[in-house]
Amino acid sequence: MKPTTILKAGTALAVLTMPGLASAEDQAITFISCGDRVSAVHEALFPKWEEANPGYKIEVEAVGWDQCQEKATTLAAAGTPVGLAYMGSRVLKQLAQNDLIVPIPMSADEQATYFPFVVSTVTTDGQQWGVPVAFSTKSLYWNKDLFAAAGLDPEKPPATWEEEIAAAKAIKEKTGTAGFGVVAKTFDNTMHQFLHWVYTNNGTVIDADGNITFNSPENLEALTALRDITAYAEEGPTAYEQNEVRAIFLDGKLGMIHASVGAKNLLKDAPFNWGVAPLPLGPHAQGPGTLLITDSLAVFKGTGVEDKAIDFAKFLASTENQPVYEAAEGLTPLRPGPAVDKLVADDPNWKPFIDGISFGGPEPLFLDYKGLQDTMITMVQSVVTGAAEPAAALEQAAAALEEFK
Amino acid sequence: MNHSPSARAFAYLLLAPAVLYVLFIVAYPLVDTVILSFTDAALKPETNWVGWKNYQKIFKANFDDVILRTFIWTFCSVALKMTIGVLGAVLLNAAVPGQTLFRILIMPPWIIPMAIGIFMWGWMYNGQFGMISGLLQNFGLSDGPIAFLGYGKTAFWATIVTDVWIGVPFVTLYMLATIQTIPKDLYEAAWTDGAGRFYRFRRITLPMIVPSLLTMSMLSLIFTFNSFDIIWILTRGGPSGQTTTMIIDTYKSGIGSYKYGEGSARAVMICLFLSVFCLAYYRLISRLNPVEAR
Repeated sequence: MKPTTILKAGTALAVLTMPGLASAEDQAITFISCGDRVSAVHEALFPKWEEANPGYKIEVEAVGWDQCQEKATTLAAAGTPVGLAYMGSRVLKQLAQNDLIVPIPMSADEQATYFPFVVSTVTTDGQQWGVPVAFSTKSLYWNKDLFAAAGLDPEKPPATWEEEIAAAKAIKEKTGTAGFGVVAKTFDNTMHQFLHWVYTNNGTVIDADGNITFNSPENLEALTALRDITAYAEEGPTAYEQNEVRAIFLDGKLGMIHASVGAKNLLKDAPFNWGVAPLPLGPHAQGPGTLLITDSLAVFKGTGVEDKAIDFAKFLASTENQPVYEAAEGLTPLRPGPAVDKLVADDPNWKPFIDGISFGGPEPLFLDYKGLQDTMITMVQSVVTGAAEPAAALEQAAAALEEFK
Repeated sequence: MNHSPSARAFAYLLLAPAVLYVLFIVAYPLVDTVILSFTDAALKPETNWVGWKNYQKIFKANFDDVILRTFIWTFCSVALKMTIGVLGAVLLNAAVPGQTLFRILIMPPWIIPMAIGIFMWGWMYNGQFGMISGLLQNFGLSDGPIAFLGYGKTAFWATIVTDVWIGVPFVTLYMLATIQTIPKDLYEAAWTDGAGRFYRFRRITLPMIVPSLLTMSMLSLIFTFNSFDIIWILTRGGPSGQTTTMIIDTYKSGIGSYKYGEGSARAVMICLFLSVFCLAYYRLISRLNPVEAR
């Protein structure tokens, strides 16, 4: 064979095997993943799915949390949607009712694999609009050293609101350190933290028929308890969001906080003794509760690859792949199973985060989620600053919510 | 002077790129925003004409409070920037050893990326870990931590202080440049006549820098009125809306809640106010320097 023939054949082979050229006919499924990076677990799954679905290619873009949802939503509103995006489940109703995303049918068997109420975080009008992919629940962390210094039993965390407020009071009065971390900054997690109180007292915000149920005795008790514990909280709680309150706790300057499993990991090297327990319960609680926050993969309308995008989303969050992702990212498991049993057996501190799911509640699904959020934040801030009484603030907020549902 | 038609056409041809640029970058978005403000544009695909409804709605929602707050915030910030800036310029103009070093030292607030500077102030205002609260406690001026961003009044002033910190270097340098153009012989003559420092400042420096002072004030007013980053990073308009200015309110409505129609109505209101400021600025320039304004 002549050298020129070998050269031509080699060039042809190289050109044909170039990834870009070989996949020139592939249909792209664009995927916005929230965060500074794409999860290594997910990245490893892309080629597997592409192999099983020839002719389709995943094009992923990592977008920081601050802009992620806005970017995906704005692109869709502008008529140039991405295939799928990682979204807070709270916005699904807004996207669905504006005809920007497609429903994601979930069989009864599929739904049954999840913990109770998880599917409800992505359900509106009887349909599912996202594939849950990340889950967060909250528990009570307490500083055992501060409990001991205040004359409290350091091994006995408060189990009720009454005990929680009494413990916060004792810590504040006997040690001079704030007893509880109240979150009340103009930030989304101010609403989340208030919902911990709502869901540990059998409260609700909106019912399945879309009626606002916020102005209830259960929620009034919740708001009153939050007001009462603020007297023993850090100074100026409207200056602090959740992570800032957690930082104060990590610094040993707070007796108790409500936080996610992430705090457990940060507390590993804490210079004080600490424990984690289920969120204390209100007088109307029926069992351990917590706010259930999920993030989902939402599939946008108008890309022409919706079915494949749904398939890809379900593949990422399948019973095989999801536990690997959760373990890598330190997330609360979405589904019960042997992996969860092992998790709790290996680290009993996981238990309260799982137990709270039984009577937990979702982030309420509203048509105008930001409107809901701002209303809740205004209500909480007015109460913790003493500008309004809980009953009046609750009534005003409930009335305002009608506009956003 | 008379020009031939071809010469005039050539002149318009040369101007065309600039005109097209302005039409595309300024006029089109502006007109589109005004049109949007009369619609219910949101996330939904269809958009309906709603007349003045958006304007009626924003004024029902305590928008007048937001406008008043914006004016107070802007006025306080500009007044402080101008006062500190002029004093700084006078001091930096003084013939003292290390004059150049002092001039360099005022630059950091202007050089540091704005977001970083604002985050730094956010930490300084933190009640638990912040420097200001810590110093006050160490000097016995406070019994416990003070969360400056946790109360409406302190948060309002904290955002102003940060805006002043960022804005003062520019004002100082501008005014310093102006002061340096004042003829030295005026000061020498006054000094010979026995005029003191304050008298020389009051009777020579101040009258000579008035045109620049007014120009700078107007420009600063326009920049400050639209200041978004500082308030958004420090307080997001809270607590309880006490630091919500018009631009924050517009962002929350238009971008945060995807109510493009309502957000546009708010943006148009801002535009109207800024137009008044710009008109005032133009008239001022016309009076101070008719040639420049022409």
